[in-house]
Amino acid sequence: MTAARPRSAGVGFDTVVIGTGLAGLTAALRLAESGQRVAVLAKGVGATHLAPATIDVLGYADGPVEKPAQALPAFAAANPQHPYRQLSVELLRASLDWFKTRLADLGYRGSLDENVVVPTAVGAAKPTALLPESMAAGDLRRGGRFVFVGLRGLKDFFPAYLADNLVRAERPSGAPLTTRVAEIAPPLGQARDVSSVGFARLFEQSEFRDSVVGELGSNLVPGEIVGLPAVLGLANARAVWSELESRLGHQVFEVPTLPPSVPGIRVYEEMTAALRSLGTRFVLGSTVSGAESTNGRLEGVIVHTAGRPQTYRARSFVLATGGFASAGLELDSNGKVREPVFDLPVSGLPGPGEPLFEPGYFDEHALSRAGIAVDESRRPVDVEGAPVYENLYAAGATLAGAVPWREGSGNGLSLASGFAAASAILELT
Amino acid sequence: MPALETEVLVVGGGSTGAGVARDAAMRGFSTTLVERSDLATGTTGRFHGLLHSGGRYAVKDPVAARECVVENPIVRRIAADCVEDTGGLFVSTPWDDPGFGDDFLRGCRDTGIPVEEVPVAEVLRKERRLEPRITRAFAVPDANLDPWKLVSACTRSAKAYGARILPYHRVVGLEVRDGKVVGARVQNEVDTEELEIRAEIVINAAGAWAGQIAGLAGCVVSVLPGKGIMIAMNHRLVNTVVNRCKPPSDGDIIVPIRTVSVIGTTDVRVADPDELEVTPGEIDEMLDEGDKLVPGFREARALRVWAGARPLYTPDDVADTRDVSRTHTVLDHATRDGVEGFLTITGGKTTTFRLMAEHAVDAACEKLGETRECRTADEPLPGSEDERFYWLGARVHAQEPVPNSEEIICECELITRSHLTEAISHGRPTGLDDIRRRVRLGMGPCQGGFCIYRATGILHEFEELDHQAANSALLDFLQERWKGVQPILYGDQLRQARLDDWIFQGLLAVEHLPE
Repeated sequence: MTAARPRSAGVGFDTVVIGTGLAGLTAALRLAESGQRVAVLAKGVGATHLAPATIDVLGYADGPVEKPAQALPAFAAANPQHPYRQLSVELLRASLDWFKTRLADLGYRGSLDENVVVPTAVGAAKPTALLPESMAAGDLRRGGRFVFVGLRGLKDFFPAYLADNLVRAERPSGAPLTTRVAEIAPPLGQARDVSSVGFARLFEQSEFRDSVVGELGSNLVPGEIVGLPAVLGLANARAVWSELESRLGHQVFEVPTLPPSVPGIRVYEEMTAALRSLGTRFVLGSTVSGAESTNGRLEGVIVHTAGRPQTYRARSFVLATGGFASAGLELDSNGKVREPVFDLPVSGLPGPGEPLFEPGYFDEHALSRAGIAVDESRRPVDVEGAPVYENLYAAGATLAGAVPWREGSGNGLSLASGFAAASAILELT
Repeated sequence: MPALETEVLVVGGGSTGAGVARDAAMRGFSTTLVERSDLATGTTGRFHGLLHSGGRYAVKDPVAARECVVENPIVRRIAADCVEDTGGLFVSTPWDDPGFGDDFLRGCRDTGIPVEEVPVAEVLRKERRLEPRITRAFAVPDANLDPWKLVSACTRSAKAYGARILPYHRVVGLEVRDGKVVGARVQNEVDTEELEIRAEIVINAAGAWAGQIAGLAGCVVSVLPGKGIMIAMNHRLVNTVVNRCKPPSDGDIIVPIRTVSVIGTTDVRVADPDELEVTPGEIDEMLDEGDKLVPGFREARALRVWAGARPLYTPDDVADTRDVSRTHTVLDHATRDGVEGFLTITGGKTTTFRLMAEHAVDAACEKLGETRECRTADEPLPGSEDERFYWLGARVHAQEPVPNSEEIICECELITRSHLTEAISHGRPTGLDDIRRRVRLGMGPCQGGFCIYRATGILHEFEELDHQAANSALLDFLQERWKGVQPILYGDQLRQARLDDWIFQGLLAVEHLPE
């Protein structure tokens, strides 16, 4: 059998975006809303389903960051290889504003000026710039009397452990804070092991909410702020959350917990729905396995789908395949790091023979900052700093220089760099 | 100092010590076992999990081979629940001397190992990932053996016969009076209390650490710790134990055990059994050797690497630890060093743990002037009464009739909430690592990514831990998992590790837990 020649996937697109994490979706949506014909290609859903859906821009520099806009210039100066060096505060602000407005139905709050501090599922106090309104009442800066509610049958949320830590957690203000715990056991039918997504579906049923309100309502002391695991509905999350608040007569907030992330799924669903309504071609289950180029310009990318390979042609391409967690970068058993789609040069690697990892889990590991370096126009560059392709742009966790899971910069970086890649493409047209 | 009395004091909670404690207790001696850490944390918990047929020793070490021939069926009978009857193969790859096959057959027949040459085509039909260019294959009764279950079953049996089992009790001194060991001073490693244990006889079953214990009574026992590294690969790349048919060397065995396959091993003489470093060169060697048995081994997903220290007793100085016989020795320090009331059992291997125990307790009986018969070969261990082997689907099988009847805390290893709470109540764990050994927590592909938070939450609630103890449990286990993953982090396992970073650092911010 001879290999099938790639078939062209219809007429060309303005832009092909590879990856469906926050960076890819942001770039795609900005381009699509500007009138571009966009195709999004991805192996599967992206990191939205794993991350808590807060937009963390800078949570930790030397200690917790209270005012990210103020802290960013010094942070970028101290970390010259960091992507924030190339993403200005103005651009970050614009990308956050765009996100809040464009996805108004998700009801995001907050700003770049001041981090909100919310509890994590272990009871640490974590700073973030933007958060969905369903998490906003968890703001620890004001203190308050918090009650954390466990749901029997959900193994991903341990309110007693959370509460025990949270009263002792380091917070920016000394406003008095108390915690207590309640457990409720709303009916789950025959099931004893229900995932966060399973609970989210249950919360969309009014009878289920009735039993939650019935069980919880009698248990609350006036003025208490109610923390629940982040499972309060999917498509109707806003209605679920506000109904709980009004029926309980208490402020209610969600605490993100282990993946799959229900708040992250909401973001994904909202953004992909917006893209589809703008006519974006969305191809999940497609691994980009090669590219066609002439004279330093990408002409198309080749995707293996059922049947035969297909070529997606476009004028611009955005690489948003993520870091090692998403296989946007790969390390083999011989210690070689690769960017698997375009075989782009990987920057930020330790020298030959130097260890990639340190013995302590929380040590700074040399491999953490490896990734793709880009120029001011967001284009991947070679060792000399010249763009590899004149029309290829990169965004998100694939970029070199950051340790986002540690800095508390994950979604902020993805949002801003996806936004910036779209801006760079739009400036050309 | 609080004190307790016992007839037999066993030092060491590996398979040998647990076997000795069970044997002594079954013979009616009041027995106490002390172990400095959790049970099965020394060499026993760090071996490849191979229940030897004896094939590995057939040519070079017939004494050890014959011991395996006797003990393998006994272990299968008394510890069936700890054994999976995978069978074993010795295969001649293109890299092996084809003439060795005949030596191997002769060695097996001379030592009594049940062996059968199997047509290569048949072997390849069964083991489809195996190197297709193998020229000969021999089937032997190798199997896998779960070391934690084995030690746990032995100590439960010992307790049922009245023994006291004291993990986290380190021997800090042996009391020698008028040329006789009369007991030991031990320190509780959890609350640092000291305890005096008076004993008629002390049996040193500390394995690779036996020299250190003997030294406390002024005796010199030369134990050469032989370091061996092992790598657990995700999935069962083979379903039969596969050995290279050649003189024993590095990286020539793959043992399928539970949901993984373990490749081993190396043999390097080291000075200190507590300092076992894994070098990048050793890992590369394992991967290259693995490729010769299973092509593509290098690209498969490696989960974890660790090293164990074999306790090789040597009367004289021997250069290569592989030349030291794998058989065991009972030393009576009275005849050897003029110290009464003190025996050392060392050398050997987990496959012959029961025989080692029998020999040690026989020697103890003789010293105490008692004639009591060993019954450990006849009575099955707790959990193995029905003499049915463990099998890979056992946990699924147990849960299938009652699907969704309780939460699955660890999806990789199918650990339910009640498995976990039973493991917790079964003896107070000092941390999640103790629970890991009891139920295999965090041993699957995600290496704890999902279960660490859940198990910490359950431990906090169930044991009513304060926040500091719970946080230490979480953070210590994260570090413990990292230790075995970090030297071998590439490919899909790096991807997994990075997801775990996002969970623990990005989502939970465990670095910022309060003091």
